[in-house]
Amino acid sequence: MSLAIETINLQKTYKSRGGGSIGVVNNLDLQVERGEIFGFLGPNGAGKTTTIKILLGIIYPTSGVAKVLDKDAGDLEAHKKLSYLPEKPYYYEHMTGLEIMRFYASLFGIKDRAHCESLLERVNLTNDMNRPISQYSKGMQQRVGLAQSLLNDPELLFLDEPTGGLDPIAHIEIRDLILKFREEGRTVFISSHELSDVERICDRVAIINKGEIVAQGRLDDLLAGGRIEVTADNASEEIAAKLRTDDRTVSLGHGRLILEMSDSEDTGAVIDALRSGGSEIVSVIPRKKRLEDLFIESVASDNQLKGRKMSKMTGESTEPEATNEEEAGS
Amino acid sequence: MNVILSIAKTTVGEAIRRRVLLIILLIGVLFLAVAPGLSVLSLRQDFSVLASFTLGVIKLTSAIIAIVLTVYLIPNEIERRTIYTILSKPVLRWQFVIGKYLGAVAALGLMMALMTVTLVAVFAIMGKGASMDVILNLTRAPVMFFIQMSLLAAVAVFFSTFVPPITNFFLSGGVFMIGTIFSPVFDSISSNEKTSGLVKMGAGIIHAIVPNFGMFNIENSVINQGQQIQNPTFFMLKMLLYALLYICACLFLGVIVFDRKEV
Repeated sequence: MSLAIETINLQKTYKSRGGGSIGVVNNLDLQVERGEIFGFLGPNGAGKTTTIKILLGIIYPTSGVAKVLDKDAGDLEAHKKLSYLPEKPYYYEHMTGLEIMRFYASLFGIKDRAHCESLLERVNLTNDMNRPISQYSKGMQQRVGLAQSLLNDPELLFLDEPTGGLDPIAHIEIRDLILKFREEGRTVFISSHELSDVERICDRVAIINKGEIVAQGRLDDLLAGGRIEVTADNASEEIAAKLRTDDRTVSLGHGRLILEMSDSEDTGAVIDALRSGGSEIVSVIPRKKRLEDLFIESVASDNQLKGRKMSKMTGESTEPEATNEEEAGS
Repeated sequence: MNVILSIAKTTVGEAIRRRVLLIILLIGVLFLAVAPGLSVLSLRQDFSVLASFTLGVIKLTSAIIAIVLTVYLIPNEIERRTIYTILSKPVLRWQFVIGKYLGAVAALGLMMALMTVTLVAVFAIMGKGASMDVILNLTRAPVMFFIQMSLLAAVAVFFSTFVPPITNFFLSGGVFMIGTIFSPVFDSISSNEKTSGLVKMGAGIIHAIVPNFGMFNIENSVINQGQQIQNPTFFMLKMLLYALLYICACLFLGVIVFDRKEV
């Protein structure tokens, strides 16, 4: 089966003020299969939005190949079968929800008012479809965005931060809608910072950092290899030294030992060793690898992110410097 | 064609709700309404002075509206990201530019129509005894202004594909001013034997590139009976064709620039 999205050595560079060039996307190889929900992750300024814009033909790559639904990115035939929900979508505020839908429908040559109404009904906006969009809440605007993205019954949806800034109820509604898209056989390409959402709904992910893919694959494969944490009291320095290896982290304080090891290791042997050394087992907790762990590991070379994580842990200000793609690209 | 009309229709809807344009229009209409009572006209408040003043108000107001409306036409779509949703649909960039331009011209036409109706009403009520034929003859000037402003809008749309709105405001305004006053300057330069060849060549280039906006000013002929244009229909068609050629050239160049633009 052919791929929904494929990029080969995709590159996008901008001229810097100093006369050099800044690589926003570097040798990007992406493969998105048809019918899957694909998560596209990365810190701010990593190149996510730039990649999406290239795939939509809104900007042009410096070099490399970008194919969408077997056509070159930007091809009009492909655009008939795809849709896009931008991050923080803005609509013509003088229009009502229904008028917005009819406007976008007209761009596909669709004149069916009932079709627009049924899509608004699907996103629970039946009662508000005749109100001006300026009176809509952020969640309602996002739902209009999703409704308009379904106008052409798309095979492929690009969703840029679809749940960003929404309240919990709206968040769950949008997430459920995306899951329904997969049931309907559509391919969904999500760019998001909401790692818990991505972990729940995506089949595969790619993590991009500084314009390069640093991890890509099935979530189950990428998150394989969990850790086990063993806690024991009355432990001695001697037993701690005996259990310490390169693959384990062992800490000891006031007789309490905390050992973390891979779940592929023999947990029973460690417990036996602790007991035979006179220690008392307090707890054995398996810790599944989370997408957040993978994300942090994958972009660990990004010092800014490390600093952000550290400051989060210590309760300091977490406000990052403005480094979005638009700035990099300008 | 449906795509272009849809974009144009939406542009009209947005333009006629823009407060800054409505304020400019309101000021223009107010000036037209109070023109017969202005003290500056009281010394020689005859028909020609009133007609000259009111037509001047319509032209100035229309020029400001045309520029303010069009300089933000495309940059606003990019800044607010509405363009992403539109260009991700089966919409070609040239369709987007043409749709935006036609919408702007339609909105401009509506606003100018309102000013023209006010003009007719002012003369019908307080027109110093002017007959309806004379008043209707006056409306030929706003029609020419509309063609002139449509051309100005096309110039502004062209610039808006590669310069920011404020720069575009002065650039388009500058082109309009040069195009309005340059023709007699060019005639004087080319007929003066003492002018150097280089200056003449420079003036010739400007004369060839910048549209001659001054040709659309027919106020004198509609106000003064002694300066009638011979065969006015032919003249208007000729001016319409001249404007259309320039509009097509501006939009064509604008589309070429916009087609490669990173939005």
